[in-house]
Amino acid sequence: MKTLIIIPAYNEAENLPKLFKALKDTGEDFDILTVNDCSTDDTEKVCREYGINVVTLPVNLGIGGAVQTGYIYALRNGYDIAVQVDGDGQHDPQFIKHLVNRVKDGCDLCIGSRFIENEGFQSSRVRRIGIRYFSWLINLLMKTRITDPTSGFRACSKEVIKLFASYYPKDYPEPETVVMVLRNKLKVSEMPVIMKPREKGVSSITNFKAVYYMIKVTLAILISSISKKSVVKEND
Amino acid sequence: MTEANINYSLNIILIIASVCFFIFIVNMVRTKKLELKYALTWLLTSFSFVVMAVFPQTIYFVAKILHIELPVNALFLCVIFLLLLMVFALTVAVSRQAIRIKKLIQEIGLLREEIRKNSLQ
Repeated sequence: MKTLIIIPAYNEAENLPKLFKALKDTGEDFDILTVNDCSTDDTEKVCREYGINVVTLPVNLGIGGAVQTGYIYALRNGYDIAVQVDGDGQHDPQFIKHLVNRVKDGCDLCIGSRFIENEGFQSSRVRRIGIRYFSWLINLLMKTRITDPTSGFRACSKEVIKLFASYYPKDYPEPETVVMVLRNKLKVSEMPVIMKPREKGVSSITNFKAVYYMIKVTLAILISSISKKSVVKEND
Repeated sequence: MTEANINYSLNIILIIASVCFFIFIVNMVRTKKLELKYALTWLLTSFSFVVMAVFPQTIYFVAKILHIELPVNALFLCVIFLLLLMVFALTVAVSRQAIRIKKLIQEIGLLREEIRKNSLQ
């Protein structure tokens, strides 16, 4: 099965080499695509040095637009499975095969969760409360227990690639997309993974934006849970 | 309560201003700076301004139909309603453009990589 690793990257030139090496060390058979979201550093150059395919966006689109570009690429090049891995080194590539195997076994979206075995980096206390709240909200609306809905470490099937290529939220996309996939009656499951604190650089969510984040994502989840089933529509 | 109550100099200023506004809009349409889709709304709006300035009775008439005591409130109501509609239409237009622009950006990125790959072969 053709597998693509999608790495959204914005100014990750310092973190990427380590990730590329770790990806190669897994010895798994997959292609890698970095989506360079108009970085101002040497992200593109680093990818070229390592011989990694890279799509450079001419304008910064934010995480959602960048990841979606990866899914469009996956769809057009006929990949069966796509795995999203953050460019900041939080996600350990050795878990990729667990996620991929789950998708091969018929799951549509397999999320790497920090909170099943509670090992590794657990995020700050405040964030954990936020994550637990989203988890509760999704359980309430979709009757499915997702312990780590904000995780950006996920593998997905062809069906979900199609769905994400047609619609993907702009910012803070993860919880909303989980609901979207559930709403389309596709199978979502979780796998325990160990995450690391980010190596260098800063997270895209600052404390200042936290309140906006909570409100926006809550609204997005609510809307997503009542939106039309197959969101596969042409964004004209 | 007729136009007799209206200050004549104010009336003249309003007429001149609304006519200027109308001419300005027509000129924008003529030089193709406004897309016809949006121009239509503005043409109608500016034309109704001219009508209201020349025949203030129209406002009194509208107030009477809507059972609003003060004609000026009828005017405010109409204008605010119109503005809300216009702002909403703009929000819709902006959303649609944002989606389109995003698609174009993604396409450019993907094409660029494809071209690069092909030129290497």
